[in-house]
Amino acid sequence: MERPMIASRKLGSPVKDGIAFFKESGYLSLTVGGAVFAAIVVTAAAARLLFPGDPTDMVTTPLLWPGQSGLFPLGTTSLGQDVAAGLVWGARASLQVGILAAAVGLLLGLVAGTLAGYCGGWIDAVLVRVIALFQTMPPFLLVVVIVAIDEPTLRTISLAIGLAGWPTVARLVRAQVRSLRQAEFVLAARCQGYGTTRIVLGEILPNALPPVIATVSVLVANAILMEAGLSFLDMGDPNIVSWGSMIGAARDTLRIDWYLAVLPGLAIALTVLSLNLVSDGLTEVLSPRRRAAP
Amino acid sequence: MAFGTNISRRRFVVGLSAAALPIGLSAGRAGEQGSIPDGEPRRGGTMTFLLPYEPPFLLSLFNPASLVLSAKMTEGLLEFDRSMTPRGQLATDWTVSPDGLTYRFALRRGVRWHDGRDFTSADVAFSLRTLKKVHPRGRLTFANLAEIATPNDHSVVLRLTRPTPFLLPALSAEESPIVPYHVYRDGDPLANPNALSPIGTGPFKFGEWSRGNYVILERNPDYWDPPRPYLDRIVARVISDPQQRSVAFETGTADVGYRTPVPLRDVERLRQLPTLEFETAGYTYSPPNITCIEFNLDNPHLGRIEIRQAIAHMIDRDKIAEVVYFGQAVACPSPIVPELAAFHDSSPSPYPFDPDAAAKLLDDAGYPRNRDGMRFSLTLDYPADETFHHLAAFLRVMLGRAGIWVKTRGQDIGSQARRVYTDRAFDMQLASLSNLFDPAIGVQRLFWSKNYVKGVPFSNATHYGNPLVDKLLEDQAVETDPARRVAQWREIQRIILHEVPDLNLVMPRWYTIANRRLKGHSDTADGLEGNLAHAYLVEK
Repeated sequence: MERPMIASRKLGSPVKDGIAFFKESGYLSLTVGGAVFAAIVVTAAAARLLFPGDPTDMVTTPLLWPGQSGLFPLGTTSLGQDVAAGLVWGARASLQVGILAAAVGLLLGLVAGTLAGYCGGWIDAVLVRVIALFQTMPPFLLVVVIVAIDEPTLRTISLAIGLAGWPTVARLVRAQVRSLRQAEFVLAARCQGYGTTRIVLGEILPNALPPVIATVSVLVANAILMEAGLSFLDMGDPNIVSWGSMIGAARDTLRIDWYLAVLPGLAIALTVLSLNLVSDGLTEVLSPRRRAAP
Repeated sequence: MAFGTNISRRRFVVGLSAAALPIGLSAGRAGEQGSIPDGEPRRGGTMTFLLPYEPPFLLSLFNPASLVLSAKMTEGLLEFDRSMTPRGQLATDWTVSPDGLTYRFALRRGVRWHDGRDFTSADVAFSLRTLKKVHPRGRLTFANLAEIATPNDHSVVLRLTRPTPFLLPALSAEESPIVPYHVYRDGDPLANPNALSPIGTGPFKFGEWSRGNYVILERNPDYWDPPRPYLDRIVARVISDPQQRSVAFETGTADVGYRTPVPLRDVERLRQLPTLEFETAGYTYSPPNITCIEFNLDNPHLGRIEIRQAIAHMIDRDKIAEVVYFGQAVACPSPIVPELAAFHDSSPSPYPFDPDAAAKLLDDAGYPRNRDGMRFSLTLDYPADETFHHLAAFLRVMLGRAGIWVKTRGQDIGSQARRVYTDRAFDMQLASLSNLFDPAIGVQRLFWSKNYVKGVPFSNATHYGNPLVDKLLEDQAVETDPARRVAQWREIQRIILHEVPDLNLVMPRWYTIANRRLKGHSDTADGLEGNLAHAYLVEK
């Protein structure tokens, strides 16, 4: 990706100027969001090192409060499972679902959007209607139906969430491709005798991608939220720990042992927030307005 | 649902100790209602009854899942006091011949249906005939019923081909409701709108049903047993979220709910509230379900008794009761719950909690641990519900320690029933099964080889078959001597405990939670499932 140009501005104090630029340009939210998200990813990746055992194992006295025991700093569940281990392993499940679902949505959306936008004609007409069909269904309901038909495994859940999420990407890509199809550099490429594949992959897509990339982090965040929702409704994969399932399991003890729901809730909030910051930052940083400036 | 019952605590079932009943020559007299404690009952007021789910119908003529409100509007021939002694409801007098083949009932005079017509023996004859045809349990209860004679408007004679020791206890309002013949005269009883807005003889009349929301029952001013009912109105409110039910009791918006209608973790907290009362009576007729693991004996691993014994050795029932049920359950290795005291065998499981014994059995059976420490894997299906979710997680961990990798699958109750009873695509299932009002109905269905019927929910899920057990089951169903029947059931339990076709875990404790202003709600064997004619509010 080419680096964004810096908008020309009056010269002032370089430090102040730097900070102002940092804030406006979106680099601040990108950095903060990216750092938080990276920390979560690293923690999830290190789950096996941090908590080598099975996070669902009943290791000690049930319902220890956070801080009550040095060995289990975040407390234990009603079955005596370590909450800290659950949170770390839950991060793995949530990220896995988020990234896989976003990948599925991105792939489907890119293919459909590019086809519709570039080919036009009846292909566009058909694809637009298919997209519309998917958009009439509330995504969460669609996911619930797909998961109910198949078994609730991480793979099915990711696929289902990806299936529910692709229309957003497809519409975005289609609009971008349509506007770029007649752009001068595309016409130039066509005049030079480039093949369709080369034009689409080499010329159009790279220029259509920036807004799509910003959307992807939202897709990941949405997928994490949806998985949490599914697990909360007891429709998640019961054989793994996820943040949603931790909240769902805590429902019965909410009035007394509220920390069991609040801790994974905070984890979800933090992750989704960081992804949204990244998305906001990317939107600013990759904004064509900024790039267009001299 | 040929032997309709339920697999979940949300559904409904009945049960009672039939042995406590005088069979043979039993007679009773009506009008002698139980005395009511706490002074003089007061007339008036509206009682809010909290329901965890909405019954599909308001009449239990053909759908046992609908019996929660049925008895308030539609009565039966008999009702039972807390000690299971029958007393008259629509019958005033009854005799059973010594051979157990002829039942004579004298019917109450001057009783009117809610629409003003007179109640007669034709209504009773029609109802019993219909129950035999359309009620899932009625088919079994009245299987030996050959003839229903109505010598006059106020007497009914039943003639049986073979004795049915559990017939009298089945004649309660919720199990065998007496419906008006004139409403049903034509057409299919299953399609009759009376099931949605019943006309009965009961203390309350149907008022209004707002689907998914509430049912209103109004006082029947012409009830045959004045001054009852005391309440002006019953509002049955459906609240499906357990936490919200807890709040409803705390704020006083709910007066009563039964079968521990709140999250188990909340029980001790709510008990501290001065406004609430926790009542354990009212579950004699309908004892708490038994929670069990049913094995699919067609599975090559589970078909071997050593494997089932090893699994049994990994089960610590007291721990389950304490951790999963927060102490609100009682360990029970027998398929008959302790509440069904006459039949329950309290001897411990021959396979106590002993991980070493389990490991040895599995080693000897030729299942060494692999690199991950696992020997083989099994699936465990459970109805998606908070307590079952925790129980499944608990069992998954415990069996995992023995090297049995358990994959748990939560689902709605319909999907599970299809998977287990129709497709038979399961290894183990978690179920909550009712003993019903007699083990002949609630327990026999689980172990009788002839009740292995594909597609019939809550039948013999394990595909268990033992000629000795079959014979005992068939003998007890026509045994007129209560002591001999109990002995037969003890023997059946001994064999089941030894062969472990299913693994019985715990009986949850059922509490009726009531606001202290409500009195007289649990004076009968069936408690909140009864007609509530005796219930009253001390202040409006």
